[in-house]
Amino acid sequence: MKKYFNKVILAVLFLSLSIVGCKKNFEPSTAIDENSALTNPADIETATIGTYALLRSAAYVRSNHFLMEYPSDEVAQGQNSSDDLSRAYRYNHVTTSGHANNFWVQSYLVVSAANKIIASIPDNSTADLRQLKGENLYLRAMMHFNLVRAFGRPYTQNNGDNPGVPILRDGLTEEEKLTISRSKVSEVYDFVINDLLKASEMMNDLKANPFASKQVANALLARVYLFMGNNPKAIEYADLVINSGRYSLLQGAEFNNYFRGAPEANLETIFCIRHVKTEDQDFSAIGSMYFSGDANGNPAGQAQSGWGEIYASQKYYNFLSANPTDRRLSFITPYRVGGVLQMNTRLTPNTPMYYVNKYNFQEGIINLSSPVYIRLAEMYLIRAEANAKLGAATAQAALNDVNLLRQRAGLSGAALHTLASVATSGKTILDVVMEERWLELAFEGHRAYDLFRNGRPMVRNYPGTHCLNTNPNNINQTVNPGDNRVVFYIPEQERAKNPNLTQNP
Amino acid sequence: MRMKAKLQTWKFFLFLLPAFLLLSSTGSRLYAEPGERTDNSVNKIIKGKILDEDGNPLRGVTVRVKNAATTAITNEAGDFTIDAPDKAILEISYVGFESMEIPAAQANRTIRLKKSSGDLQDVVVIGYGTKKAKYLSSAASVVSGEQLRDVTSNNVSSLLQGKVAGLVVSTASGDPTSGSNMLIRGAGTISAGSAPLIVVDGNIGGSYNPTDVESITVLKDAAATGLYGSRAGNGVVIITTKSGKAGKTKINLQSSVGFNKASTGNFNLMSGPQLFDYLSIFSTPDPAMKNTNTNWWDETFRTSMTQSHTLSASGGSEKTQFYISGNYYKEEGTLIANDKTGYNFRTNLSHKINSKLKVSTLINAIYTKDNYNPEGGLYQAYTYLPFDAAHDADGLPIDSRYVNWYGRDKSNFLYSMQYDFSEANSLRLNGDLNLEYQITKDLSFGTYNRVNFFNYRSRSFYDKRSQGGATNGGELYNSSSQTREMISSNRLRYDKKIGVHNLSALAVLEGNQSFYEVLSTAVKGLPPGRPFASTATGELTLPQGGVNEYSFQKYLGQVDYNYDNKYFAVASLVRDRSSRFGNNNSGATFYQLGASWIASNEDFLKNNNLIDFLKFRASYGTTGNAEIGDYAALGLYSLSTSSSYAGLPGAAPLQKANPNLTWEKQKGINFGIEVNFKKRINLIVDMYQRTSDDLLYRKPLPATTGYLFVYENVGSVRNRGLEFNLVTKNVQQKNLSWETSLNMAFNRNKVISLNDGQKFSSPGARQPIGVGHDIDEWNMPVWVGVDPTNGDPLWEKVLFDADGKKYITYTNDYNSVANETSRQYLGKSAAPKFTGGITNEVNYKGFTLSAFVNFVYGNYVFNDTRFYYDNDGNYDSYNSMVLPSKWTRWEKPGDIATHPRPLAGGNRLSMSSSSRYLEDGSYIRLRNVTLGYNVPSTFLQRYKISSARIFVSGDNLWTGTNFTGPDPEVVLSAGESSFKYPISKKIMVGLNLSF
Repeated sequence: MKKYFNKVILAVLFLSLSIVGCKKNFEPSTAIDENSALTNPADIETATIGTYALLRSAAYVRSNHFLMEYPSDEVAQGQNSSDDLSRAYRYNHVTTSGHANNFWVQSYLVVSAANKIIASIPDNSTADLRQLKGENLYLRAMMHFNLVRAFGRPYTQNNGDNPGVPILRDGLTEEEKLTISRSKVSEVYDFVINDLLKASEMMNDLKANPFASKQVANALLARVYLFMGNNPKAIEYADLVINSGRYSLLQGAEFNNYFRGAPEANLETIFCIRHVKTEDQDFSAIGSMYFSGDANGNPAGQAQSGWGEIYASQKYYNFLSANPTDRRLSFITPYRVGGVLQMNTRLTPNTPMYYVNKYNFQEGIINLSSPVYIRLAEMYLIRAEANAKLGAATAQAALNDVNLLRQRAGLSGAALHTLASVATSGKTILDVVMEERWLELAFEGHRAYDLFRNGRPMVRNYPGTHCLNTNPNNINQTVNPGDNRVVFYIPEQERAKNPNLTQNP
Repeated sequence: MRMKAKLQTWKFFLFLLPAFLLLSSTGSRLYAEPGERTDNSVNKIIKGKILDEDGNPLRGVTVRVKNAATTAITNEAGDFTIDAPDKAILEISYVGFESMEIPAAQANRTIRLKKSSGDLQDVVVIGYGTKKAKYLSSAASVVSGEQLRDVTSNNVSSLLQGKVAGLVVSTASGDPTSGSNMLIRGAGTISAGSAPLIVVDGNIGGSYNPTDVESITVLKDAAATGLYGSRAGNGVVIITTKSGKAGKTKINLQSSVGFNKASTGNFNLMSGPQLFDYLSIFSTPDPAMKNTNTNWWDETFRTSMTQSHTLSASGGSEKTQFYISGNYYKEEGTLIANDKTGYNFRTNLSHKINSKLKVSTLINAIYTKDNYNPEGGLYQAYTYLPFDAAHDADGLPIDSRYVNWYGRDKSNFLYSMQYDFSEANSLRLNGDLNLEYQITKDLSFGTYNRVNFFNYRSRSFYDKRSQGGATNGGELYNSSSQTREMISSNRLRYDKKIGVHNLSALAVLEGNQSFYEVLSTAVKGLPPGRPFASTATGELTLPQGGVNEYSFQKYLGQVDYNYDNKYFAVASLVRDRSSRFGNNNSGATFYQLGASWIASNEDFLKNNNLIDFLKFRASYGTTGNAEIGDYAALGLYSLSTSSSYAGLPGAAPLQKANPNLTWEKQKGINFGIEVNFKKRINLIVDMYQRTSDDLLYRKPLPATTGYLFVYENVGSVRNRGLEFNLVTKNVQQKNLSWETSLNMAFNRNKVISLNDGQKFSSPGARQPIGVGHDIDEWNMPVWVGVDPTNGDPLWEKVLFDADGKKYITYTNDYNSVANETSRQYLGKSAAPKFTGGITNEVNYKGFTLSAFVNFVYGNYVFNDTRFYYDNDGNYDSYNSMVLPSKWTRWEKPGDIATHPRPLAGGNRLSMSSSSRYLEDGSYIRLRNVTLGYNVPSTFLQRYKISSARIFVSGDNLWTGTNFTGPDPEVVLSAGESSFKYPISKKIMVGLNLSF
C-alpha cells in the first residue's frame, strides 16, 4: 500500500514539477530582435523592403494624398464628411488634424527605418550594398521633400527662409531626436538635394518602378530643382531621365489604360508605391473617394464600390473638354443615368458627379491602385517650365515639350500650340506650360504646389463644400499664395510631445 | 478503543495517536475522526439532533469536543452520537451557519443552528488555504453563492457589482457576449492590465458558471493578495465552486426566464419632422424628406429573451463526494442578430483513498456560441436619418444603393443583414487534478494541477448580394485560435499547536506556462449563400497566423502565528519570475506582514453586552503587476505581412527595446476595524494606501524617434481610500425579518512622480497623466458656451500678462486653444469620488423581497458620440439628438444659449474635442428587485420535493442620472462613451427546486 502511495505521489509530483520547471524565455513568432535585423546583406535587403512597406502604409499614402491633392482646384467635394479630409479641401485646418498627424508620423518612421540601414552601410561597400544604401537615401529625401512641401512655405517665397520641418539625419542621439526642432525650408531642400545626389551616384541597378534606382533619384532632383527655381539644374536632370532610354510615354489606348495594369510593366512610371492584389484598401482606398461603380468600370450610385464623394471640378472638366478627343478625358467617368449627368444634391448649388478613375481598376480590382509618384510626362513638363522661365530663347523648346504631350493625348492641328497662337491668346508661355501640367498631372498631387510656388492664387468658382457658410450660393473661393493656410499646422499631437516644434501661424 | 481498525495503516498510527492529539491544531483537518478518550474525566455518550431554523435536518455538521480531537458528524436525519466528558464543551460548526458552543451535558437534545451572514461565514477561502473569517488579518470580502443569485447574467463580474466595498464593476456594453471590467481600490496602473487576478478552486485562472459558485472571496489589501505575488497588484477574486457533501444525494433545479429591453435613459434622437425643422434652420432640406419617418432605434433594438437552466446533483459518502451540474444559458441581446448561448458542464469529485490521502478532480467544460450583428448595428441606430425608409411596401428591407438615400453612408444595414452573418464559438475545458497527503498530523502536502484548453473559432461572411460584399463578390473571414495552459501549485503545510500558541507555516512552489496560436484567412469571390472557403476564388489578404508564449514561476513561504486566538501575526515572502520582462529584471521579490487583535476575546470585553466581536487589524505588503504584452521589453522588427512590399518579405522596426523593463511594484498598507454590536449590527471599516512604483506604461514617443511608443517604468501613483461595509438586522422576529447591507468606498488617486521630471506622461491626450493629479483626470480646451451677440462657439484661452500672471480670455478660434497653454485641468476625473451599493431584504413568512441599488458618484464621462449627433450642423447626413430641456440653441442676437447657432458645414469647429462633451457620469441605479416565495415544506413533502422557491425579479429597472446619453455606465478609467450598447432592463421569473 505504501509503495502504491509513494508511486502515485511521486508520479503526481513529477508531473507538477515538470510544469513548474519550464522554459523561461520566449521569442515572438512574427517579429525578430532588432539586434539580428541588420547583420548581413540579405538582412539589409529585407530591412530595406520593410522601409518601403512603411511607405506603403495607409497612414502615409492615404493621408498624404488628401493633404497634397484636396487643396487644389481640379477636385470638388460634393458633400461634407466627418473625416478630417474635409478640412484639407475647405482650407479650414485644425491643429489636431488626424491626416496631418498620420502623414507626419509615418514619414518620420520611414526616415528612421532608412537611417538605421544608412548608418549600417559604409560608403565603400560592395555594389549591392551601395544600391541598398542609395535606395534608403532616396526614401529619406523623398520623405523630407514631401514633409517640407506640406508644412513649410514654398521655397520661392523668401528664398526658403521660412520654418520648415526637422531634418532627421542618421547618427542623432536619443536626446536629440526627442527635442529636435524645425530647420529652415532652404536647409531641408539642401539636405534633400545632398541625399538625392549621393543616392543617384550609389544606385546602379535597374530596379523596377516600385523601387528606387538612379533615374528615380534624378527625376526627383529635377522636380526639387524646379521647385527651388533652379531652372538650369532642373533641365539638366530632366534630360538625364528622358535620355536614359529607360522610359517612354505610353501611346494610344495604352495611355487610356495607364493605371490599370501591373505597375512594373508600365514604361512611363518612374516611381510608384506598389500595392499588390492582397493589399486592396477597399472603402479606405484613395480610389473609393473618387469612384463608385461595378467591376466593368461602369459608374453607379454612391456606396456601390466606394464613397464617390470627390469629383473632378466643373472648372477642370470644362477646360479638359475643350478638346473632345483628348485621351485624358478617359480618366474621368461622368456618372450618367440615361444620358443625364447625375448631381450630388447635398449642397446648393448641386455638384456634378464627375468620377475620377486614376486610382481604380489596377489588375481588375475596383479600388486597387499603386499611386504614381513620378512619371516620364512630368520630366517633359519640368523641362518645359524651366525653359519657359529662362526666357524667349527657350520658349519654342518649352512648346515642343508641351506639344509632345498634347500629341500623345490625341490632339493635333489647331490644338497644338505655336508661339503665334500663344501670343494671340494673350497668355504667356509659362501660362501654357502650367495649363498643360494641370491637364496632364491632375489628381496626382501637384496642382496646389504648382500654383503657390509660382505665386499664383488657387481659384475655385464651382460648386463644392468650400462654399458652405459663405454668402449663400457663392461658389467662389480664392486662396492666395501668401495665405497662412497654404501650409498645414504642425500636428498638435507631436508638438505636445516635443515642445521645440514651433507652430505655423 | 472504540474504533475498529479497518486498515493496517490505522493500526500503525494508533500508537502514535495520543501523542499527536496533544499537539494537534484546530485548522488543518482534512476529515474528522470518531471520538477518542482524551482525559481522565467521566465520558458520556451524547446523542443529539441538529436542525436549521426552518426545522430541516442538517447533515454533515461537525460536532467536536472543545480542545480535543473527538468529533462526530450528523447523518441525514441530523443525528449525531459523540463520546465526551460530561464537563466538556461541544463545538458545533457547519459552513454557512453560525457556530455554537454548548456544554456536553446540555447537548442531548434538538439543537437549531442559525444561518450566518455573509462576512462572518465560518471558513473563508483565502490565498492557498482556508481560514476562519474572524481570524483574518487582511481585508477580504466574502460573497456567498446566495447573494449572487439576484441579478441575471452569465458573467460573475456583473453579479458582483455593488456588493463588495471597493470593487467597482463597469460594463461598457449591454452586449451579452462581452464581459465587464472589475477594478479594486482604484486605478493603480496605466498600461498594465488593471483587472484583478481570478483564482478558481485554488489555482490561478480556470473557468466556472455562476450557478456553480459556492462563494467568492475578494482580497483587497497587500497582505492577502501578496501570496499571489506578481499577479496580485490589482487584487484577487477567489471563486470556489460547489462540492458534494456526505449523505443523501441532493438534486437541484434552477430555472429562470425573462425578457430584456434596451434602456435609453435621457437620450432621444430626432424624429423625421423634428429633424426636418432643425435642418431648415440652416439649409434647404429636400421636401421629399417629409414623406418618411423611420425610427432607426426601434429598427435596431428589440425586446429579447434570456433564460438560464441548471440541473445539479450532489452528494456522496464519508469517503467520496461529488457535485455534477449542467447549465444552459441563452441571452439574446437587445441589438438584433446578437445573442449568446452557453452550455456548461461541471463535475467536482473527491475521494479519500485512505485516511491520509485524498484525491479530487474538478472538470469544467464550457461551450459558447455567440452571434454578432454583421453590420455593427449601433453606429446605424445612432446616426441613420429618419428620412430613409427601412422597408418597402411589402415589408422587405430596401436596397439603399438603388434609391435616393439621404443618410451619410448610403447603406441600409437591414438589407445586408438578410445575407450576412458574424458568429463565433468556443470550447473551454478545465481539468484539475488535486492530491492532498497528510504526511503527519501536523504536516500536509498538496499538489494542485490544472490543464486549461481553450479553442476559439470565428467566422464573418459578407454575401455578394449584400452591400458590404458586393465590391469583392462576397467576403469570408475565418479565424481559429487555441490556447493551452498548464499550471501546477505544490504546497507544504505545517500546523502546530502548543497550549495557547498556534503556529502554521506554508511553503509553495508554483509554475505555469501558456501557449497560444492563431490562424486567420480572408477570401473573396464566393457564390451567394456559400460561406465556405473552398468555394472562394480569390484572396482578400494573405493568411495571418502566429504563436505567443509566456511562463511564470513562483516560490513563497508564509508563517502564521496566533496566541490564544486573540493576537494574530502573519508574514510571507514571495519570489516571482516572468518571461515577460527583460533579461535583466525577470524576477522580483515581494513580502507581506499582517497583524490583528481580536479585542472581543479579551477578558474586559468577553462578556460585554453591546459588543459581540471587535477586531483591529493592520497589514503592510508589497505586490506586483506583470500584465503587459508578452514581449514588451524587446526591441523588435516586424516580419509580418504588413512589412512586405511588392510581394517581397520585409522587416520594419516595430518596437523600441527596453531591457530594463521590470515589474510594477505596489506597496500597500491597510488598517481595518471589524465590530459586531448586539448580534444585529456588523460593521467593517478599512483605510488603505496603495502606492504603485515603476508604473508600467506604454509611453507615446514623438515620431522623430522612429517609434510610436516604448514600454517604460515611468513613475508612481498613489491610491488612498476608505471602505466600509455595514450590515444591520433591523427586524428579527419569528416571521418577519429585515436586513440592510450598505457598502461604500472612497478612493483618491494621485500621480506622485514621473521619471525624468516630466510634467505629463502622455502630453496632448485627454487624460495626459500629470504629476500631482488624479491619473484619470481630464485635461482639454475648456468650453465656455455661446457668444450671445452672434451665436459663435467660445472657448477659454489662457494668456499671460506682462507680469507673467495667467489670465483667461474667451475666443471663438479653436486652433488658438488646442495647444498646451490652453489645455487645462478641470478638477474632473473619470474616476468616481465614491461608489457603493445598498441591499434591503425583507422576509415575511415564506416571502422574500429584496432590492439592490448601486451608485457611482463624481466621475466624468467624455461623451464621444455627441460628435455625430450634437455638432451644430456640421454633419447634416447624420441624425441629431433632441436637446434635453436644459439645453437651448442660439437663434438671434441676445440669446443666452448652450448651443451655438447651427450652420451648414458646422460653426467654427464647435464639435472639436473640448470640455463641451464632458459630462457628469454619476448615477444611482436600481440594479435588482426580487420577490421570492419559499413554498412551505408541508406542501412539498407530498411531491418528495425538499425545497422550492419561486421568484420574479427585475434588473436595471430605474436609473437616476444627468448623463445625456442612453447609459452613464462606462469603463471607469478610460471614461469614454462611444456608440454605447445600452444595458438591458430585464424582467425574469424563476424557480428553484431541490429534491
